[in-house]
Amino acid sequence: MSKSGPAGGGTVIPQTEFPHLPHAVLDRRRLLAGSAALLPLVNLSCSTTPPSQMPLVFTPAERAVLDAFAERIIPADEAGPGAAASGVARYIERSLAEWNQADIPSLRNGLQKLDAAARAQHGQGFANLPAAQQDELMLAMEDGGLAGFGDAQPVFNRLHRLVLEGMFSDPYYGGNANYAGWDLIGYPGAVLGSTEEMQQMGGRLPMLHTSAYGAEHDGDDDGATHDGH
Amino acid sequence: MAIELPETDVVVVGLGAAGGVAVLPLTRAGLKVIGLEAGTWMNPAADYRADEIHNNVRALVTTGTKVAREVPTFRNTPDQVARQLPRHPMMNAVGGTSIHYHAQSWRLNPWDFRVRSATLERYGASYLPEGSTVEDWPLGYDDLEPYYDHIEYEVGVSGKAGNLRGVIDPQGNVFEGPRQREYPMPPLRSCDYLDHMMEAGRAIGFHPYRGPAAINSQAYEGRPGCALHGWCDRGGCHIRAKSSTDVTTIPKAQATGNLTVTDNANVRRIVTDNSGKAIGVTYLRGGEEYFQPARAVMLGTYTYENIRLLLLSRSARHANGLGNNRGQLGRHYFGHWDAQAGAGASALFPFDLNIWYGAIAQGVMVDDWADDNFDHAGLGFIGGASLHTYTEKHPIGAAAMGLYGRAPRRWGSAWKQFIRENAGRWTSAYIQTNTFPYANTWADLDPNVNDPFGDPVLRITSGPKQNEPKAAAHAADKMQQWFRAGGAIETTGQGGNGPALSTHAHGGTRMGLDPGTSVVDAFGFVHDVPNLGVLGGSVMGTAGARNPTQTLQALAWRSAEHLAAEWNVRTA
Repeated sequence: MSKSGPAGGGTVIPQTEFPHLPHAVLDRRRLLAGSAALLPLVNLSCSTTPPSQMPLVFTPAERAVLDAFAERIIPADEAGPGAAASGVARYIERSLAEWNQADIPSLRNGLQKLDAAARAQHGQGFANLPAAQQDELMLAMEDGGLAGFGDAQPVFNRLHRLVLEGMFSDPYYGGNANYAGWDLIGYPGAVLGSTEEMQQMGGRLPMLHTSAYGAEHDGDDDGATHDGH
Repeated sequence: MAIELPETDVVVVGLGAAGGVAVLPLTRAGLKVIGLEAGTWMNPAADYRADEIHNNVRALVTTGTKVAREVPTFRNTPDQVARQLPRHPMMNAVGGTSIHYHAQSWRLNPWDFRVRSATLERYGASYLPEGSTVEDWPLGYDDLEPYYDHIEYEVGVSGKAGNLRGVIDPQGNVFEGPRQREYPMPPLRSCDYLDHMMEAGRAIGFHPYRGPAAINSQAYEGRPGCALHGWCDRGGCHIRAKSSTDVTTIPKAQATGNLTVTDNANVRRIVTDNSGKAIGVTYLRGGEEYFQPARAVMLGTYTYENIRLLLLSRSARHANGLGNNRGQLGRHYFGHWDAQAGAGASALFPFDLNIWYGAIAQGVMVDDWADDNFDHAGLGFIGGASLHTYTEKHPIGAAAMGLYGRAPRRWGSAWKQFIRENAGRWTSAYIQTNTFPYANTWADLDPNVNDPFGDPVLRITSGPKQNEPKAAAHAADKMQQWFRAGGAIETTGQGGNGPALSTHAHGGTRMGLDPGTSVVDAFGFVHDVPNLGVLGGSVMGTAGARNPTQTLQALAWRSAEHLAAEWNVRTA
């Protein structure tokens, strides 16, 4: 975390001052025309390494299992795009590389175990199985019932959690591409202020499609597919 | 050898919610104060973000190098080996946890100060919780009222009085103690969902009101009103509308010219002389060890470190730690019985609530089932809990909702359809329970786990309770009734199993008149060390059905004012 302040035992008050921020408004065109609600909250030059430069952590084979797993958690269907089209696995790899390195060995092992179970039961890798057989294996994994996969349940729970993070986090982190996750649940977008209209009950609010990090960092730029290897 | 610094009048250890308040009356009284803070100034532009990953998943506001080194261990019973928990609930920074807290800012109910005698009077001795060590506080609500008022005006609290000099106003909390004047600011803006719940609560005979918040509802003392952007929980305020001490009392104290803030200072020991009096503290900063002499020491770190630092500061006159000559240090510790204890309720509505934005403190409260606001005859418990329904919902948390039996499992197309419909239609309620100290719950030094300097971390032993889960479950039932009155189609509620580490840690240096059952006196000074004050929740002997911060701030102000007024006696 970046911190500012006196280097010594001084009496300096932090000098960061904010202009009074007008409330966000619901009209996306007005937002795009320059409302302060779209201004990045964060000075990106002060933040950590941009996610796009993060190294990836899984082999292509492991990544294929992860992609397939994530897509069965949140499938593409009539309700909207699924995990694959939303960059969920990209989020997971970046998050693991940047923030959760300690999780990598158990998750890598878990993806390999799931793939091995698929080959043992069906003679094919997990990623190539029909959805129904993937679901059966994942149900067994969730219940802790895959032979030779002792930590199946905690690995399932961790991956499930990471899939949700990837689908519903700020697109800045590589998932939620095109705001597919926020559109699904009706979360309008990150703002720096709200109006009474934005807390009105009775129907869905208009989607704002705003990232806390500004339009150029909202994940729209590099499309929906995951990074290559 | 430690580098010896020039003597100061008062050294305040920790510039958080409590120490950050105490510096103001001290410096206004003309005393020279050095504030030693383990963290440093936050940088709002870089540190505070409208981002659930940053605030809630990675907890990048709720952090600090010192707390990370000294996470307490926890066990339920003395036969167990205590395990170190993954993270500390608090943070290090100028302003401390007042930066990222929800800023619900309360006065305790008058009953909270005299639970024992009030229970004996109304119900008899059989109603006192078994195994409890609860005592009346050495002061009452009326004694603290002027200091609550100081905090509301000097820190900045928004709210609506429910009892103005005895005149009851149902727009406020009709159960609160009498206050001398109205809040300096009206409550935070309401919203459609909260108006709806207010109406639903009144329809079933409850007394709902808009809760108080240490957040500006309008411009106040040069800071703007809250923008209600929905990132208050575990986040700092990007416009300084939240009245954390780093933007309120600490800058005011600096403006007197009498406060020096020394950041990145890791206090290791409170030093006493041969007479047993405190003469200063030692701290590490930038690889050097310093000794800061002072005429008086005010210990204002979090409850856990207050207890630990006193236990570690042994000397010939204080062989078992400062304030521990009667074996009371660490006793009467307890974590608040709230969401961290597993108490709570939730509801699913058949319409979109649109409570994404707002703030946790933008809420409606009910006190009808808290404190002694209802007849407990035959219920099998005393006390109760406040009910709080609120706004500020984040997308990952919303999607990770419970299924209410309406989806086959938590993944797949059926689940996706379920959250598509319902992620914006559910909410949870905050149940905060009156909590008491017990003989089976205390804090001491862990015999097995040290910090990197070789000092033991604190060990929490917290045994089973009977009263609190019953009181919380009773309140959770009432919350479900309220949700149903508001049109909820599904509800859940539970009383909980007890807290591990807590952001509402109370006691351990309990305030009292009897040195045989307490650590500090009625003004917060260690019984046998008259120039050593203790600030924070560690002095509180009971927890109310509400957040403790404003009470510990009022107590800190009172201790500081007392030290200045009795300077010659206290420092003789």
